[in-house]
Amino acid sequence: MALPVYVVTGFLDAGKTTFLNKLLNRRDWRETRIIVVQFETGEEEFHSRYDNCEHIAFPKKILEQQSQQIVEQIRDRILSGEFDEIWIEWNGVVPFSQLQALLLHPPLRSLCQIQKVMHIADAMNIENLLGRTGNALPEQIASSDFAVVRNDGYSAKAYSRVRRLLRGINPGVKIYQVNSDLYKQLFEKKERPVKNFFRIIVLLIILYLMVKPVLEMLQIPVNTIVNVFLGIILQAFPFLLIGVLLSSAIQIFIPQSAVERRFPKTMGLGMLVAIIGGFCFPVCDCASIPVFRSLVRKGIPLAAAVTFMAAAPVINPVVILSTYYAFGGNWAIVAGRVVFGIIAAVIIGLTFVVWAPRGNVLSGGVLDRLMCSCGCYQDAESITTFREKADLFMRHSQAEFFSVGKYLVIGTFIASLFQVLGTGIFTAAQSGAQLAVSILIMMAMAFSLSLCSSSDAAVARSFASQFPLGAIMGFMIFGPMMDIKNVMMLSAGFSRPFIVRLLFTAFIVCFAVVFIVFGGGGT
Amino acid sequence: MQAKAKAFNPQIFLELLCYSVFAGLMLYLLDSGKYLSYVTPRMEPYLYFTAIVMGIWVFIGLGRLFQPQHKMRSAHCYVLAIPILLLLLPHSPLSTSDFSASNGGSALSGPNSYSPAPKQAPSADSGSDDSAPGSTDPAEDFSSAAPEYTADLPGLDVKNQKITVANDDFSIWLSEIYMNMEKYKGYTVVMTGFVFKDHEMIEQDEFVPARLMMSCCVADLAPAGLLCKYDKASELKAESWVTVEGTLSIGQYEYDGVQYDEPQINVRKIMPAEAVEGYVYPY
Repeated sequence: MALPVYVVTGFLDAGKTTFLNKLLNRRDWRETRIIVVQFETGEEEFHSRYDNCEHIAFPKKILEQQSQQIVEQIRDRILSGEFDEIWIEWNGVVPFSQLQALLLHPPLRSLCQIQKVMHIADAMNIENLLGRTGNALPEQIASSDFAVVRNDGYSAKAYSRVRRLLRGINPGVKIYQVNSDLYKQLFEKKERPVKNFFRIIVLLIILYLMVKPVLEMLQIPVNTIVNVFLGIILQAFPFLLIGVLLSSAIQIFIPQSAVERRFPKTMGLGMLVAIIGGFCFPVCDCASIPVFRSLVRKGIPLAAAVTFMAAAPVINPVVILSTYYAFGGNWAIVAGRVVFGIIAAVIIGLTFVVWAPRGNVLSGGVLDRLMCSCGCYQDAESITTFREKADLFMRHSQAEFFSVGKYLVIGTFIASLFQVLGTGIFTAAQSGAQLAVSILIMMAMAFSLSLCSSSDAAVARSFASQFPLGAIMGFMIFGPMMDIKNVMMLSAGFSRPFIVRLLFTAFIVCFAVVFIVFGGGGT
Repeated sequence: MQAKAKAFNPQIFLELLCYSVFAGLMLYLLDSGKYLSYVTPRMEPYLYFTAIVMGIWVFIGLGRLFQPQHKMRSAHCYVLAIPILLLLLPHSPLSTSDFSASNGGSALSGPNSYSPAPKQAPSADSGSDDSAPGSTDPAEDFSSAAPEYTADLPGLDVKNQKITVANDDFSIWLSEIYMNMEKYKGYTVVMTGFVFKDHEMIEQDEFVPARLMMSCCVADLAPAGLLCKYDKASELKAESWVTVEGTLSIGQYEYDGVQYDEPQINVRKIMPAEAVEGYVYPY
């Protein structure tokens, strides 16, 4: 029977030893025989009140140079008596994976196994430490089963900021205050996410097979929804892949200094570059959002990046061609879409010059700029060989694929529900409406249908008999810039106030442009 | 468990499994042509691209399969698992009935027994030798020719001013006729589609012999075809498949206060036809 190992990680002075002293010297644990292994010696020393703990300490130097010796010492200690648990206080600047490697050395492998890993963080310091102290700290946070936050007289708001920070690195991690009772957490059975995954898959299959006939009896066209969902997904995944590969390439292969040096300094030129870039980027909105995110992260002026994101899906050649065909070769409509699209994109971009957003628009805050929030802890600037970069590139693109893909799947699902069940609502609202209302209806429809921008022209055409041209134009300009799917995907990387602002700005600007042109012209 | 299992990494295993199943499914859909029920043929290279990228990810991931990891995650894999599941679980491609039903179009389906064919068939049938509407043979003869060249358009008979639209060339002809309606005015057109009547847009004596057209993906699937003028249009049963023969003319429709030209067919003859599988794809 392998000894269970409990690991405490955390930066120097986070309070690891204090935590151990408090926890392991509890009266009700005095019968438990424990080996305490310390890889760091801070100000506070470990002491055992009931003499149930044996204590070994290794300085960092030995850890670096003579790891075999450590393995042997721990093995000898384990074999020297009857023990119930091992507690390890790990060094704050050494990656957790190194401890795992130690414990997987042949003699220790069969003797002990890691049971729980907890991370101790000091709310006061953690924000400053992260991003400045290398990769070990975020890696430790990401590997922990739960985190304990020491919070001495810190404001509730700051505490919640720390919680968000930790959750950004280790999504869904449980966070406790020092004084809470961790007993249940420590000894509850280890979760088996992969096993659970397959259980849920089986459940989903059963659910699908059982619920589908019931829903179909209720006249809900499940089959159509499934088809539409798969259609959008098959349509979007390749573009999402292109997007994450491009965005990861930008992130990893292009140094930030080069971007800052080369990108035009003046606003006008910057906007021009953004629009030409958008034109030369013949993919739909699924790809432009990851690229947008990495542009912002690389320090491109926000206004130019926003212009690029808004323009790219409206004005690229694929979209122009599909619009041309959908409207039977009507160049006036094609030109209208491109011109108004560019105007709207530039205005949206300019609003971010005039009213520069306060604070960081990227959701991870400071941290996000230094390294991606995706589980790759090397920051791109510090590794140099091409092999390492290529490897990081692959892992980065996978992580980004999953993080953006998650929102794409959710967004697509909502959109396919809307497409199948909801269009009637919009067309019903249309009857006898004014131009302004029609435009609003079509824009709302574009938002909720979340069509791929290379296909929406055909759909717009199918509404052409019921809606005036202005409304159709609103649909074709606003839809590619913003829809459920896009907002979902944006939330993988941007702060909520920024997304809300971008959404409303885009909506108002698109509406205004279309309404002024088509309403003013008098129909 | 991780430590005992020789540091086998279940999370990486799960990711690799998802990548490889997804890549395999893509290749299967491409190979069997079933991807056409969801997206257009234009997506073919992109889907290959997806399969290749996933394949590379699997290959590279193999190196990490035995990398120890304490904290396991699996939730992210649903991004691939859910599409995989839905692709594998039973569902059928959308058909004309799905479409009309969701549009309320079927409400118009008139008197059920539609059989104009016997009345009109004797007059014409044996005369036109090359027109076997509904069969795809003419298309195959011409399929090597580039459809852009007007001279080589499959089924075009300039001498007799006749266009026989094979099922495979439906969308080519649809756009060709829309683009060059002046040129084909007065031509005889033979084409096959299902009877589509949208009560909001279409008069009593009109219908469209339509095919379901996909511009980008199944989400934008919509009936497309040329408007036909036919006195007994109200007798046609919606969703039934017909081959129409008639003369091309230029009609008008009003949109946003402006009159636009559009090609129409003045129907001379209608024959019931076999239902045609598959969708049509513009350009």
